[in-house]
Amino acid sequence: MKKIIVENLKYKYPDTDQLALNDVSFEVEEGEVIGIVGQNSAGKSSLCLALTGLIPHFFNGAYGGKVLIDGIEVKTSTITDLSQKAGLVFDNPFTQMTASKYTVYDEIAFGLENIGVSREEMIERVDWSLKMMGIENIKDKNPFDLSGGQMQRVAIASVIAMRPEILVLDEPTSQLDPQASEEVFRVIQQLSQEGITIVIAEHKMEKLACFTDRILLLYEGKQIDFDTPQKVFSRDDLHDYGVVPPIFTTYCKAMGMKNKNNNTYPVTLTEVSSLLGGENNE
Amino acid sequence: MTLYVKQDSPIHEIDPITKVIYALVAALLPYILPSHTVALIVLVISIILLVVGKVFRKIIPLIGLSLFLIVSLVIIQGIFRPDNVTPLFHFGPIIFYKEGLSYGLLLMLRVINLLCAFGVLILTTKPDDLIQSFIQKGMSPRIGYVIGSVLQLIPQMSATIATIKDAQRSRGLETEGSLLVRIKAFLPLIGPVIMNSLISTRERSIALEVRGFNAKQKKTFLHEVHTYKYAKVIQAVLILIFIFAILWRIFL
Repeated sequence: MKKIIVENLKYKYPDTDQLALNDVSFEVEEGEVIGIVGQNSAGKSSLCLALTGLIPHFFNGAYGGKVLIDGIEVKTSTITDLSQKAGLVFDNPFTQMTASKYTVYDEIAFGLENIGVSREEMIERVDWSLKMMGIENIKDKNPFDLSGGQMQRVAIASVIAMRPEILVLDEPTSQLDPQASEEVFRVIQQLSQEGITIVIAEHKMEKLACFTDRILLLYEGKQIDFDTPQKVFSRDDLHDYGVVPPIFTTYCKAMGMKNKNNNTYPVTLTEVSSLLGGENNE
Repeated sequence: MTLYVKQDSPIHEIDPITKVIYALVAALLPYILPSHTVALIVLVISIILLVVGKVFRKIIPLIGLSLFLIVSLVIIQGIFRPDNVTPLFHFGPIIFYKEGLSYGLLLMLRVINLLCAFGVLILTTKPDDLIQSFIQKGMSPRIGYVIGSVLQLIPQMSATIATIKDAQRSRGLETEGSLLVRIKAFLPLIGPVIMNSLISTRERSIALEVRGFNAKQKKTFLHEVHTYKYAKVIQAVLILIFIFAILWRIFL
């Protein structure tokens, strides 16, 4: 089933001349992991906002085309209704804390209180989120006393407690240290295994190559490509769009090591190793 | 940034609304009935409640803070009150009068009483419980959020200000010295602080939006309403005392 359908989406922020999103069209199947790549101001964040209804309901501006989230048209829906379909996590862990709650447990329950979930279900959902994110040990701490990585996991927990079927992440690890990023990527992969459809904008290409099914390449608001990581990262014109492919791809390109089956360069260490006849070869 | 003291006491058990009514009635009584006895009785009751609530020691620094105001009230009233007639004692040429001192004492009792009465509420009630009670009584959740978040955002903001101050100083901005230097440093400091707050506010409002802050549904609460067996009785008694005091003042 198609979870996300974007048709000819165009969007311009108020008081700007340039289109932030220019004719973007793609479809995402249930359970897929989609990576959004592109240089700064390519439209990654705008697309994330458009998938969760913040565009056009929170940011005004000129809007054209259509976005369907699980069959619901974004333009005629509300942010609250969409928040139970598609959750949004963004880069700054601090501003994602509501600041009105004194414990992580209460913080995660905030959204559920707003949408009127019953107490029993609330407790069950919060416990599930804590377990998914592996943060049960910090549930009684004040959210502002946590490290960045823990805080970001609390932010993801608060969003998945709303039980969205789609999770949109806008550079979730860009303000975190390597270890904290690793933790966040691990929980994202775990969520994907739970069957949640994931859309993630990210600059860490090696990570994206490991666990995304398809990559959406954006440049100045335009959609350049939407294909498997192997195909997108093997493009010769990638540098023109300000995207640096995974280190493995760069290396294999320089060495002329191509995967003969699909005529692409490897994007992960496992693929390189298998190409070289390593132990992962099947 | 909260004065709440976590303790296990009968006062902590009482529901927030009852404590709010107590604080209001206790603070107003000495004004409705302007006698030293009434102020003293109410004050003693508040102090007993603070002691039972195991928070009496926390109120002392608060009273200490207002001591300057209190002492100056007594001295000024003692010397200058217009209806001063009976001299009581004197330091050199300065004469203290009985009427003024007595009135100053009443003012002093009222101030301390006010602090203690609200101390019972603030020191023994979790701020989020208090806000939740108000929301359940019909206050808008938006206002509840504003009150609740300010308590946590102010420390966050002062941390940001400290960071920006350090950053500007590392670029050579003079922030210490004469008044002129400080005034000159004000703009380069306040600019980034304001910009930073605007950005955080926008991001936080996005975070709130995606968590259903504007939902039309009726809100539910994670924590059960803090019910107290005798809440209704105590509230009724407090309100009766209040009405009785007003009637007493008008007719007697």
